[in-house]
Amino acid sequence: MISILIFVLPAFQVFAQPAVGQQAYEISLPDINGKVQHLSDQQGKMVLIDFWASWCGPCRRSNPELLKLYSQYRDKGFEIFGVSIDDQKDAWKKAIAKDRISWKQVIETGGWDAPVAVQWKIEQIPSSFLIDQQGKVIAIDPSKEQIENYLKSGLK
Amino acid sequence: MKKIIFILLIALTGLGAIAQFKTGTLQAAGLTCAMCTKAINETLKDLTFIKTVKADIKNSQFIIDFKEGTTVDPDALKRAVEDAGFSVAKLKLSLSFKNVQVDNDSHIKMGDKTYHFLDVRSQLLNGEKTITFVDKNFVLAREFKKYAGKTLMSCVQSGKAESCCTKEGITGNTRIYHVTI
Repeated sequence: MISILIFVLPAFQVFAQPAVGQQAYEISLPDINGKVQHLSDQQGKMVLIDFWASWCGPCRRSNPELLKLYSQYRDKGFEIFGVSIDDQKDAWKKAIAKDRISWKQVIETGGWDAPVAVQWKIEQIPSSFLIDQQGKVIAIDPSKEQIENYLKSGLK
Repeated sequence: MKKIIFILLIALTGLGAIAQFKTGTLQAAGLTCAMCTKAINETLKDLTFIKTVKADIKNSQFIIDFKEGTTVDPDALKRAVEDAGFSVAKLKLSLSFKNVQVDNDSHIKMGDKTYHFLDVRSQLLNGEKTITFVDKNFVLAREFKKYAGKTLMSCVQSGKAESCCTKEGITGNTRIYHVTI
């Protein structure tokens, strides 16, 4: 009975958002140069996974704040892993240039139906997940202040 | 002769015929960014007459393409927005007209729908034009108030044929869309 549960549960978890304390799902998607970036390559860093799109107003407005945070903590072991669900790569590239995004940035076209958005059960953007050096989720949709607090205590 | 040509024209174009709704723009209002939620995209895409829904960030609105050969139902569109937890702030639909005479504060049947034009000048519509829906809950409350003040007919309040309209031969309770250009 227990063994059946063990087999069944993971199948359900595929379409659930990883909860705090759970391991983040692997993300392997192309960056602006078409090179595939793996979220797991960031292990050892604290990573903010940021789901967004160029047409999302609130996402765009938060980019300058993320940029500030990134410049301040990138050398101390902080990375941002932006995941765009833009349908048009050109719009995505323009937004990256305009918002001067220098952190890791990948895309999966398809909007809300993009497999990565479905797997992470993204219902709205921006949606973000802060993960620790082992890839465990420590906060969902944290504010800039919360991120900074986690970084201060987590990056030593 | 002129008369015959006129009759022929009518026969060819169909009485004040209106073609397809082609595209539309929709602004949804709510506490959060409507475009940034999956819910509204889903409820809109579930409508059988909608082909695609795209976000237009510059004007914070949705651009909707309708499927050809389907009947567009503005009330269903409004319900879809409301089911997702938002309200319609603006709905503009573009359609092609063929010799349709519209007059201010008067009713006209086009296709399967009856419209009541408000705040327009008398004109003959030809080609692709965009109409804006101004019925209650299709615009912000103050906008509705503004347009409701442009007519003395009570149908503007209910969106249905009242005594004002049945006089003209419109069946009672017929849905009447209040629009402007």
